[in-house]
Amino acid sequence: MLTIAVSKGRIYEDALPLLAEAGITPIDDPLTCRKLILRTTRDDVQLVIIRATDVPTFVEYGAADMGIAGKDILLEHGAESLYEPLDLNIACCRLMTAAHKDAPPIAGRVRVATKYVKITQRYFAGLGIQAEIIKLYGSMELAPLVGLSDCIVDLVDTGNTLKANDLEPRDLIMNISSRLVVNKAAMKMKHQAIQTLLDQFEKTLAKRG
Amino acid sequence: MQQKDSWLLPDGIEEILPEEAKHLESLRRKILDTFACWGYELVIPPFIDYLDSLLTGSGHDLELQTFKLTDQITGEMLGVRADMTPQVARIDAHNLNAEWPTRLCYTGTILHTKGDPLEKTRSPMQIGAELYGHDGKESDVEVIRLMLEMLAMSGLQDVHLDLGHVGIYRALSRQAGLDDAQEAELFDVLQRKARPELQELMAGYSINDELKAMFLKLPQLNGGKETIAKARDILLAANGEVKEALANLEAIADKLTACFPALPISFDLAELRGYHYHTGVVFAAFVPSVGREIARGGRYDNIGAIFGRARPATGFSADLKVLSVLGKASYQNEQRALIFAPYLDDAALNEKIRDLRAEGLAVVQQLPGQTGTAQELGCTSVLEQDHQNWVVRPLASLE
Repeated sequence: MLTIAVSKGRIYEDALPLLAEAGITPIDDPLTCRKLILRTTRDDVQLVIIRATDVPTFVEYGAADMGIAGKDILLEHGAESLYEPLDLNIACCRLMTAAHKDAPPIAGRVRVATKYVKITQRYFAGLGIQAEIIKLYGSMELAPLVGLSDCIVDLVDTGNTLKANDLEPRDLIMNISSRLVVNKAAMKMKHQAIQTLLDQFEKTLAKRG
Repeated sequence: MQQKDSWLLPDGIEEILPEEAKHLESLRRKILDTFACWGYELVIPPFIDYLDSLLTGSGHDLELQTFKLTDQITGEMLGVRADMTPQVARIDAHNLNAEWPTRLCYTGTILHTKGDPLEKTRSPMQIGAELYGHDGKESDVEVIRLMLEMLAMSGLQDVHLDLGHVGIYRALSRQAGLDDAQEAELFDVLQRKARPELQELMAGYSINDELKAMFLKLPQLNGGKETIAKARDILLAANGEVKEALANLEAIADKLTACFPALPISFDLAELRGYHYHTGVVFAAFVPSVGREIARGGRYDNIGAIFGRARPATGFSADLKVLSVLGKASYQNEQRALIFAPYLDDAALNEKIRDLRAEGLAVVQQLPGQTGTAQELGCTSVLEQDHQNWVVRPLASLE
C-alpha cells in the first residue's frame, strides 16, 4: 500500500489531474465526506488529507510514503530528511515582500510579519539587513496597516488581496511550486511502486511541457 | 523550575524503567556476546575527552553535535562524545598498534546537542563494531553480515539492506574539478535527490556536458540489482575509480546474496551518508514502518592517520535503544522466577536463601513491617518451612 499525503485546497485540486493520469482518482470526496484517509481507484494507493505544513512531517516519519508540498513549506520545514525528486509545477505562486504602497524603501532595521520565519531570516540576512521577525499565522496583510510591521513576507498569487489592502508587492524572494516528496526508507523498500509512479508523473509533466 | 516540575527531564533525555531496562540489557549482552563470538573485542572509550581529539578525522561533522565544557584543572576544552567511532579508531591506531587485522566493538551512551530530527533523542546508546587493517571487500562483507546478525538477534523482521559508494560521487567531483563550495551545494541537492535544483546547479557550472549528464542521472541511480548495470551504462565516460567502485559494490552484493538469499538489497549511488569521512562502500539497514535507517556503516580508510597510523577501516553502529524498542514485540517476556522469603532470624533460612541465589535464582526477602504481599511484589513462589526444611512452593498452588 502506498500512502500519499496531500493538503486540502489548491494543491489538492491541482494535483487531481496529475494523479488521475497515473490512474489514481479518489473515491471519496474530501469536501463532502469527513474522512481523512481517502480510498482511490487503485487498491494499492490511498491519500491522506492533511494541513500543508504537516506534509513534510508525515512523509519524513514514513507515516506517508510520498507527499505533495509547496517549496515554501519544504524550505521552512527544512527537508534534509526527505527526497524531493520532482517539481510538479502546480500551485505556482511567488514568495515576495510586500509593503504599504506609500511606505518608503527599507532602511536600517526592519520589522517583518510572516509565517515563514526561517526563509525570511535567511533572506534578509543575505541582503545584510537586520530584520525583526514577527511570526503570524494568518492575515499577514493586516500587519503593516495597523503598524505591527514595516512589511510582510508572504505568497503572492494574483496580488488582489494586497491591492485590496493598499499594499504592493516589492521584491521577489523566490518562485514557488509544489514538489513531490518521498520518504527515504520507502524509496528503498517500495522502490518499484514509487519509481513507477515517479515515471508516470514525469511523463505527464513532459506532455504538459 | 517549579518544584512540581522537578520530575521533568531535559529535551531528548530519557530514563528507562525496569521492564524496558531488562529487555535492553539482555539484548545488549546478547549482542556483545555475539560480537565476541565473531572475534570482536570490547573496548570502553572515555565518556568525556579532549574536544580536539573527539573532532579529529571522522569527527568534523560532529562539531555542533558535541556538548562542550571546560576542564577546571587545565582550562582546556573537553567534549562529551557524540560518536564513539573516532575514539575506537584512535585506540586501534595509537594504543593497540597491531600489524594484523584488529576487530573491536563498543557500546555506551553518547550525547547530542541537537536531537535527531526524527528520533528526537539526544542520548542514544550506541553499539557497534569496527574492523581495522584490511582493505578488501571481504572485510566489508564481514561487518555487514555481523550487522545483520545483530538485527536478527534484536528480533527485527523484514530487514532491508541499502548499499552505496561515496567513491563514485567523489571521483566524479574530482573529474569535474569542482571547488569545495560547489561540492558542498551539490552534496546538499543530491542528499535530497532534488532533480529540479540539480538541473539549475548544472546549468550554472562550467563543466563539460558529458559530466553534467552523469551528475544529472545520479539521483536516478537507485533501485535493485539492475542499478549497477544501469550505472555502468550511464557512467561510461567516468574514470577508472568509478568503475572500480561499481565492481566493488557488485562483488559485495553478490557475496551477501550468497549468504542471505532472501535478503532484499537495494543500491543508491547518490547516497552520501557520512560523505565527509567515508571512503568506500556505505550501507544502511531499514525495516518497514520506520521512516529511516536503523543501523548504518561503511568504509572509512585512513582515519587513524591523524592519531599516528593510517589503517583501512570498516564498521557499523546503531542505537541500542531503537533496536530494543523495535524488537520488543517479538521478544518473549520470559517471566523470571522470583522467590519471596519471609523475614526471620533463622540460620537455616538464611543459608537456603544464599544457596538459591548462588544457583542464580532471584530471592527477595521480606522486610519487617513492610506492606505488600508476595503477589503484589511480583513473586512467583514463596519459601516455606516444611518440618525442618525450607522449601520453594509456587504461589499459584497456595490458593
